[in-house]
Amino acid sequence: MKPYTYLLINLLTISVCFIFSFDKKIQFNKHFPAFLKASVLVAIPFIAWDIWFTAHQVWWFNTAYTTGLILLGLPIEEWLFFICIPFSCVFTYFCLDKFFNLRWLSAFNNIIVFVSVIVCVVVALLHHDKAYTFVTAIATATTLIYLHFMVRAPWIGQASFVFAILMLGFFPVNGVLTGAGLDSPIVNYNPKNFLNIRMLTIPIEDAVYGYTQFLLNIYLFKIFQKPADNCEK
Amino acid sequence: MEGATWFIHKYIMHGLLWVLHHDHHDHSTEGPFEKNDYFFVIFALPAIALIYFGSLNYFNYLFYIGLAITFYGIAYFLVHDIFIHQRFKYLANTQNPYLLAIRRAHKQHHKHLGKEKGECFGFLYVPLKYFKMYYKNAK
Repeated sequence: MKPYTYLLINLLTISVCFIFSFDKKIQFNKHFPAFLKASVLVAIPFIAWDIWFTAHQVWWFNTAYTTGLILLGLPIEEWLFFICIPFSCVFTYFCLDKFFNLRWLSAFNNIIVFVSVIVCVVVALLHHDKAYTFVTAIATATTLIYLHFMVRAPWIGQASFVFAILMLGFFPVNGVLTGAGLDSPIVNYNPKNFLNIRMLTIPIEDAVYGYTQFLLNIYLFKIFQKPADNCEK
Repeated sequence: MEGATWFIHKYIMHGLLWVLHHDHHDHSTEGPFEKNDYFFVIFALPAIALIYFGSLNYFNYLFYIGLAITFYGIAYFLVHDIFIHQRFKYLANTQNPYLLAIRRAHKQHHKHLGKEKGECFGFLYVPLKYFKMYYKNAK
């Protein structure tokens, strides 16, 4: 059973959301093509980043918890991670946006970008020697500046609010990946390359990394949705 | 900070950088985003520099000035964007004379759509007559 642990985490994350995608009131299945395009495009830079960091041992995977299939240095489960996690995140965003009016949260766009950019740039400057911290902070600041000032995305506040709710799923999933409830972590981090601030077992960088990945998925998902289905515009 | 805000608002936003501030007065940009929002990132730059250099120098006074700019930015957002401009409904029916006075003064500022001939450039402190107007009524 142990070698299937990471695979099971992926499957459990996606399964409930996948089944409910076909619910008559939700019909997220109609948006599968848009989601796939978005998640594959976002996965490209994130997987490149992952391969690079794994090669330089910024982090590494405990293969006792994976099936053994490895592609470009990453277990196949890690590749699936970039589809399964965004699926449940985009699905949650889609449902909350459909059933609740969250538009008023756009009022917070300015302050979210203002505070996040200050924190990320200061952290990047102070910790430029820690690869995970530095790349995550720069990626997040750049993404927020791009979405707010260039795309003028009205949904940053809304997405940030949904991401806060998604923390409920993030903690168990990332918790197990980083060793909660297991003999040893599935994903291990080189202490030289991150802040060593952990929320329970989870490095704080993981949450910020997840936020950026989520924002980019939502951004592309909205672009690929058929214009008539896109309630935002 | 209030003095700096008044100065920047009167002589820079209504001066050299009017190009970014005008849509806050004439609402010429569509959607919730205003070009005026670029000022958030402009003010983030000195805050970042001060916090960074302050941190390198064992969290000396520069760090706290940077932190103060950040908190002023948050206060500005809460009072200006949320309370005065009601980007969402919050304290819309307040009877607090101080809040009513700064809101009234800021609305007065917005009566002028152009770059010149403005009034009430302050933010948390506005001309005395506005305070008198509401404190008198409150009694």
